[in-house]
Amino acid sequence: MSVTMKKTIPVVIVAVVAFIVMMDYFLVLPPINGAGKSWTSSTVTDLQNWGIILTAFSLGFGAVNLFYFHSKHISRRTPGQWMYSLWLLIVIVIFTGIGIFTGPNSYQYSWLYNASYFALSATVYSSLGFYMTSGLYRALRFKTVESGIFTIVGLVVLARNAPAFAVYFPVLKVWGSFVSDVLTTSAQRGIMIGGALGAISLGIRTMTGRETGFLGKMTEEERGGGTE
Amino acid sequence: MSGQSKSIWDTLENIPREVLYGILLVVFVIPMIFPLGLPVPISENVRRWHRTIEALPPGSVVMIDFGYSGGGEPELGPMAVAVYRHLFTKGDIKVICMSTSIEGTQLWDKAMAEIMPEQRFGAEYGVDYIHIGYIAGTETAMAAIGKDLRATTSTDYKGNSLDQYPIMDGITDASSFDLLICYTTSGDMSEGWVRQWYTVYDTPYMCSVLAMMVPTMLPYQNAGQIISVTSGAQAGEMEGLVGFPARGIKSADVITLTHLLCLVYVAVGNIAYLGKRFSGGGK
Amino acid sequence: MELSLVIQIWMAAIFTIFIYSIAFRDNNLFKFAEYTFVGAAAGHSLVYGVDNLKRYGWDNLMGGAYLYIVVFLLGILLYSRYHPDYFWVSRYPLSIMMGLGIGLSMRAVVTAEFIAQIKSTAAVQVLGVTDPFKLVSNIIFIVLVVTTVYFFLFTIPKAHAGGLGVIPTIARYGMMAAFSYSFANTVLSRYNMIFGRLNFLYTEWIPLPGAIIALPLVLILLIYAMLPPEKRPWPKKE
Repeated sequence: MSVTMKKTIPVVIVAVVAFIVMMDYFLVLPPINGAGKSWTSSTVTDLQNWGIILTAFSLGFGAVNLFYFHSKHISRRTPGQWMYSLWLLIVIVIFTGIGIFTGPNSYQYSWLYNASYFALSATVYSSLGFYMTSGLYRALRFKTVESGIFTIVGLVVLARNAPAFAVYFPVLKVWGSFVSDVLTTSAQRGIMIGGALGAISLGIRTMTGRETGFLGKMTEEERGGGTE
Repeated sequence: MSGQSKSIWDTLENIPREVLYGILLVVFVIPMIFPLGLPVPISENVRRWHRTIEALPPGSVVMIDFGYSGGGEPELGPMAVAVYRHLFTKGDIKVICMSTSIEGTQLWDKAMAEIMPEQRFGAEYGVDYIHIGYIAGTETAMAAIGKDLRATTSTDYKGNSLDQYPIMDGITDASSFDLLICYTTSGDMSEGWVRQWYTVYDTPYMCSVLAMMVPTMLPYQNAGQIISVTSGAQAGEMEGLVGFPARGIKSADVITLTHLLCLVYVAVGNIAYLGKRFSGGGK
Repeated sequence: MELSLVIQIWMAAIFTIFIYSIAFRDNNLFKFAEYTFVGAAAGHSLVYGVDNLKRYGWDNLMGGAYLYIVVFLLGILLYSRYHPDYFWVSRYPLSIMMGLGIGLSMRAVVTAEFIAQIKSTAAVQVLGVTDPFKLVSNIIFIVLVVTTVYFFLFTIPKAHAGGLGVIPTIARYGMMAAFSYSFANTVLSRYNMIFGRLNFLYTEWIPLPGAIIALPLVLILLIYAMLPPEKRPWPKKE
């Protein structure tokens, strides 16, 4: 199959779709239907709905990859691993079976979700708090100017974030506001502006075929046929 | 002599993590069992949030995105519950909810079980509040709903037609809404709403995110794109303003004492480091 | 209380304690909980993926929007990425998703994250400000925004050398302060989450019959699981 089919046409699709979406936003075109919508408006509405469905299809990738990876461990009976892999696949089947046959909002699925996934998710997220504790014990040190700034600001904000401290030491509110409204907002704004420029340039590069990372693995023919 | 001093600094500098975590757990548990009732100040962001909702005229329509995952529920759940209680207490505000998070509908059910809208506020599903479901695609979903809600979805989260619900009369796109609220564990989601609703349709927007995401949202608030950025950790403050103390206010004592412990840990670590350094033990 | 609710709370509590054990040492019970979490996450995604396909795709197709057949075909083609020879076919539906994402973000990022931010920075008042603290804050604000943008925009070595080197240095100090604020807020966030789980254990699980007896037993089990394999009689390391 030619490079045109495998690489050029997908890049052209990216550019055309992105261009139509941007046209709909920046240009006011005459309506073409009874609902008062222009052709770009109708097209973008359809494209967005297509995007939702395609994203729904992509939600299955996680399960497919896990089946692919863990079934190898089960078939090879990898010591110390295969039982966990088997259990993982069983859990996927249980969740999927109950969810699809009774519905995601059924009492049975909600019960299963609250008994397992919700508790596990909430606890996994929160367990990082322990590592943060040992991190602040070991990392907040006055070693260099940068780490000194990091430590001082960290101490001020930790004290400010403790609700009662802010009541008993009102000066913490002033210092905390200075840190958040001046230091943090300004630095984050600078990062945001830089990021926005990067996003714009990445978008243009992708639309013009100079950035082909989204195509995934590429053959030698495709790499040789690409433009720099 | 210096060998003994070094040993003390070494010990202080390398306290085993089991000891750190064990003390932390004790400090967590004690105020839970014996509440201290420490004061909780109310910040300007929370007051601004509260004022914004208070200023909504009767008949206003609010869109809420339940965009947080189970991992963020302990922090954002209490805030979501407090705000819903505020909206229901105010009355005559239509609240339409959607989820950009895959766990959103389950967590919304959880929140409703805690709020009990029918029993406590006389609110009715389909008349005063509704959930139109999880929509995959994050920014694509936000843009699709904002552009043409009825073309994107025709059912609520249980699969019932939206046409049967009076709350959906006249709701077509982003211009039908007077306020947008988002609860999310992902900064990208909140930024997505700024890009897809505030920038395109000028919809007034407030968000409550995890405390760690607040710094990335501050530039938007400073530029006036977000009315108020709060963190779920401020749920206790919101509960105080709304008059429904619940899970949020309970955490205040614990957070104060655990943060005091953090300050002690940082002090011990630095004393050990500086003591070792000045006693010739290392850099 | 209903038996199903009691069992649900017990399961959630046991999983919570198993996961927290990783803070002390890796063990088989944590691995069991971890793999349960991964499997549940994948299953949950699959369930809602199918639900979305039905609600936003199938129902429209059955309602007469026959063009959705094309969308369904494209969605199925996404999985051709696993084929060794025809993986490139998945690029077609992916291109539509990419194009949508680029168009939607690029149309607004210029206004939201570029122009609005610059406008807001330019509106920061310096002249005519009488409060000295406010004046210093405003100057620091503008200086940090400009230096941070300089830091990211001008990455060639010459832009950071010599006298110009003071600009990225100031930016670094500002970013250190911002990251420290994020770090402290992350501690607040995680502690809130830990409180949420411990509050659940304390208010919902411990009051259940038998829980107060089960708690020390579970902890003993966990300590046993944390022992090195050579120090425990069973199970032996394979």
